[in-house]
Amino acid sequence: MVVALGVIALGFLVWLVRRERGGQAGDASGVEVTPELSALAWEPKRIPPDELPLGRVVVSGLTKQYGQVKAVDDVSFTAEPGRVTGFLGPNGAGKTTTLRMLLGLAAPTSGEATIGGTRYAALAEPALRVGAVLEANGAHEGRTGRDHLRVICRTTGLPLERADEVLSAVGLGDAANRLVRAYSLGMRQRLGVAAALLADPQVLVLDEPGNGLDPRGIRWIRELLRSQAAAGRTVLVSSHLLAEMEQLADDLVIIAGGRVVATGTVASVTGGRPSLEAAFLELTAGEDTIR
Amino acid sequence: MNQPAAWSRLVSAEVMKLRTTTAWWLFVGGFTVVTALAVGLNCVGQHYALFPQTDAFDRAQKLTEAAADRTPAGAAAMAASLMTSGQTLTVLFALLLGSYVVTSEYVNRTVTTTFLTVPHRGRIIAAKLAAATSFGALFWLIATVVNAVVTPVFLSSQHLSVPLTAAVVTRSVALSLPAFALWAAFGLGLGAVIRSQAVAIVVGLVCFVGGFAAVAAVSQLVYDAVHQDWLFSARVIAPAVASQVMITSGRAFPHAPPQWVGAVIMAGYGLALTAAGIIQTRRRDVT
Repeated sequence: MVVALGVIALGFLVWLVRRERGGQAGDASGVEVTPELSALAWEPKRIPPDELPLGRVVVSGLTKQYGQVKAVDDVSFTAEPGRVTGFLGPNGAGKTTTLRMLLGLAAPTSGEATIGGTRYAALAEPALRVGAVLEANGAHEGRTGRDHLRVICRTTGLPLERADEVLSAVGLGDAANRLVRAYSLGMRQRLGVAAALLADPQVLVLDEPGNGLDPRGIRWIRELLRSQAAAGRTVLVSSHLLAEMEQLADDLVIIAGGRVVATGTVASVTGGRPSLEAAFLELTAGEDTIR
Repeated sequence: MNQPAAWSRLVSAEVMKLRTTTAWWLFVGGFTVVTALAVGLNCVGQHYALFPQTDAFDRAQKLTEAAADRTPAGAAAMAASLMTSGQTLTVLFALLLGSYVVTSEYVNRTVTTTFLTVPHRGRIIAAKLAAATSFGALFWLIATVVNAVVTPVFLSSQHLSVPLTAAVVTRSVALSLPAFALWAAFGLGLGAVIRSQAVAIVVGLVCFVGGFAAVAAVSQLVYDAVHQDWLFSARVIAPAVASQVMITSGRAFPHAPPQWVGAVIMAGYGLALTAAGIIQTRRRDVT
């Protein structure tokens, strides 16, 4: 009897492990839907002037060392409320590591990053204050888009209905009950944006949100982020898409090889050069793209 | 305002996480099927114990045992066995579910979202511990319901009347509740320390299946050298043995320590592993 049960339990186990593995591979083989493009279904609420400083993102002297390699080396910059700050750099420049330290996912070797003067992990309700999109795969493949958001609502104490509101706002209303496994990369990005908008937070931090979006999607996210900044929110967005950044950002922070090489408004960073691209290539010259 | 995310929200979010994936139906469905199978096989075995086959070579002895089974005490023991059918093995589901609750976050890379939403990682692991032990208790409930449906039907078909409220029966059933909960805690702690789902499952299985034999062999070897009886009692340090000691009324084996020792050791493993998991989870970067 024990043998029979053992065989069954083991079979179950093997199946479970294989299923999990399959889920991880997660190629978007599902049917692609082109979601209805809508502006936000709600008008972003304006941040009262006296609350604006709570949204200021200050990164000072942030350093992350892995062995002998300094992935992030003494990075300092400020992302101001009411403005879109573009965080630019070649692949492997340390953008993602910097954002992960800002959001408390990685511990800095030295330096500090604060939001309204407080470290992310020390904020009272960080998920209500800051919305973040870090990777297009932050959702369980075997969960529906709606359930992914509802879990976050449950954790943060937001009403569960908020998930549906936000899903239709990002154009995923029709795909709400589909498993994330069947989402295309663009839909995953939208789901990530939806998660970031759940609490209508004062600060938005997005890592390469344009990845996988088609031209319509890119315009949508640009309009979304511009409207959020116009309402007084702080928007910090990393990218290596220069043309897009030129249209989206007010301020720029360019890093290369883990170091800040330029900060300022788009115009001041571009300087006398013919385009942002020319400025970027000049500023980041000599840095290996792969570190 | 200055309050970290409420505890009850965290636990209910953990429950929701498990309930919104198909793994949930796998665990509950798989457990129910295996339990039903176990009680069915147990019934068949008990039937042949009561009615030994006529060509059995040791028929005389079997008939004596069958007569013993028909005494009130024997029938109560049989009812207790039926009411906990297969549980030495099915608590494995609790162990697996416990480690799944943590390791699935890493396999599916949802851990970034989880720790962004709540940066207090220790609280998340603690909430997972609460959820996992509750699911362990749920397994116990399912098993008890399935067994409670089958057992009276079987017993009356064998013309035995045993109240399921008999002390022997209720004690056995009650003792398997902590077994399910504590194995779930053990699995959770293991998952939090190891993080890799495949490795956590293998290590869990080794502790579960191999632990008994390994500890027995080692204690026997040392005993042969020094002849100290406490070496047999010391076998209880293996989780599988501790669990066995905890659920066995009286002595699980010669020189076995009392039941509470098994319970304390199982709880100790669950808590120590979870604490180690919390420390590691807080220290490591999420990548």
